[in-house]
Amino acid sequence: MARKLHVMRDLVDSQMLSADGRELGRVADIAGTMAADGSVELTDILTGPEALVGRLGTRLRPAATALLRGRLEARIPISEVKTKGMVLRLKQDAEAYPVGDSEPWIVEHILRFIPGSGYRAWKAER
Amino acid sequence: MKRLLDVALGILTAIGGFVDVGAVATAGAAGAKFGLGLVWAFLLATVAIMLLVEMSGRLTAVSGKPYAAAIREHFGFKFYLLPLTSELVANGLMFTAEIGGVAIALSLLTGISWHLLFPVAAIAVFLTVWFASFEVIENGPAILGLVTLSFVAAIVVLGGPPREVVVTLWKPDVKPDDLGEYMFLAAAILGAIISPYLIFFYSSGAREEGWSRRSLGLNKMTAIIGMGFGSVTAIALVTLSAMVLGPMHIGGGTLGEVGLSMATAFGRTGTVLFALALLITCFGACLEVSLSMSYNLAQGLGWRWGEHHKPVEAARFNLTIIVYVLVAVAIGLLGVDPLQLALLGSAVTALLLPVALSPFLVIMNDKHYLGDDTNGWISNVGTIGIIVMAFIVAAVSMPLLVLTGGA
Repeated sequence: MARKLHVMRDLVDSQMLSADGRELGRVADIAGTMAADGSVELTDILTGPEALVGRLGTRLRPAATALLRGRLEARIPISEVKTKGMVLRLKQDAEAYPVGDSEPWIVEHILRFIPGSGYRAWKAER
Repeated sequence: MKRLLDVALGILTAIGGFVDVGAVATAGAAGAKFGLGLVWAFLLATVAIMLLVEMSGRLTAVSGKPYAAAIREHFGFKFYLLPLTSELVANGLMFTAEIGGVAIALSLLTGISWHLLFPVAAIAVFLTVWFASFEVIENGPAILGLVTLSFVAAIVVLGGPPREVVVTLWKPDVKPDDLGEYMFLAAAILGAIISPYLIFFYSSGAREEGWSRRSLGLNKMTAIIGMGFGSVTAIALVTLSAMVLGPMHIGGGTLGEVGLSMATAFGRTGTVLFALALLITCFGACLEVSLSMSYNLAQGLGWRWGEHHKPVEAARFNLTIIVYVLVAVAIGLLGVDPLQLALLGSAVTALLLPVALSPFLVIMNDKHYLGDDTNGWISNVGTIGIIVMAFIVAAVSMPLLVLTGGA
């Protein structure tokens, strides 16, 4: 129980921050494996709308998966976490993680058509 | 010197940011129908918003966390959806009403129908949020908004309120038939002044401006002096409506009618002053509401946010603003009168205040966030009082509103 409380306070809903200071969303859920002796080992942190829907009710999760088919979900191994707490610092730069892919999509399909979006500089950087 | 300037700027911001379409609508209608009989609601709401603004600024200055982020972290995703949803609903109504206020102000100045000017106003709001820096968004409308002090000048020009109006301050003239409307207006005043969007905006602004513990003095001064002066301009408009509209039996049912009181004091100039006051304060509120919604969502979901980033650098944050403007335009195209929408939006806001404000009670007493700067008993008792009061008034008036068909 003590361990569970620890996880809830220090992991779930925490802001994820990459080494280069980019906001990568919040931890939506956690995943682990259960060993033969019944002990649970934490393996990954999850983020994305499907995991969030799962937080509302486990039975809603399959519906969300059917709809989104994992497109916006991400799984980050727990070994990537540098420091826990209300801000969760990850070891590598943002590029290394499969998170926030919707941002470039929004830029390429919507924002670039509005003057003053900063698109050219953004594109040049990539 | 720099510090003094910061304090002055903060206070000006609060004065200019206090009045919005909800304040104008409720002040106009309250003064026209009940004289000074609802000034108590403005005073009560002013004390409430002083307390809440001070708390939200203190939270962010000390912890570096804006309010929405703290709610998600402290209460989890499930609970966070409650304040988020209530903000989406209440702010959706208010945002549309604020854009409508801008459109009506433009219409008073140009003579063109406000329905046509509505999309123009929405586009202008969007472009300002898109291009302007946070400093411009915060200080521009605020300083120009000092034109609302012309409400005070109008009272002086008209020779001050006559005795029969002053008496209504402590002896409200409410006939039994009007009790429902009186209660509804009281709720709307509380919701119009105690705006949760202002709280989300203010605490996010503290982050945009990089506040720290050293900003606590500035925070307190801004909250008390700024909100206090802001309240003066709102109460001035109540008084003005009571002096001019009441005796003429004009109900203050549209924003144009509310403006008549300024025309009586200053003629054509008065209409222009009123239109400018309406234009600037509603425009400022539009910027604050749309940003506050986006701040709320981005902080709650952990996206990159802020006006100091180029739009492409905070794509989801800026997309939220675009979507929100489009939704407001869609509601606006239904053609509902902005003043009626503002009254409804304000009353709904009051009803939902417990959802938006109760997390404060817990977070402001959490040493993880605030260290030694947690709430004292005055702030705690005050917050509970605000929540209970707003909810009771709104819960009593809402059924009456439904029964009377919103009239």
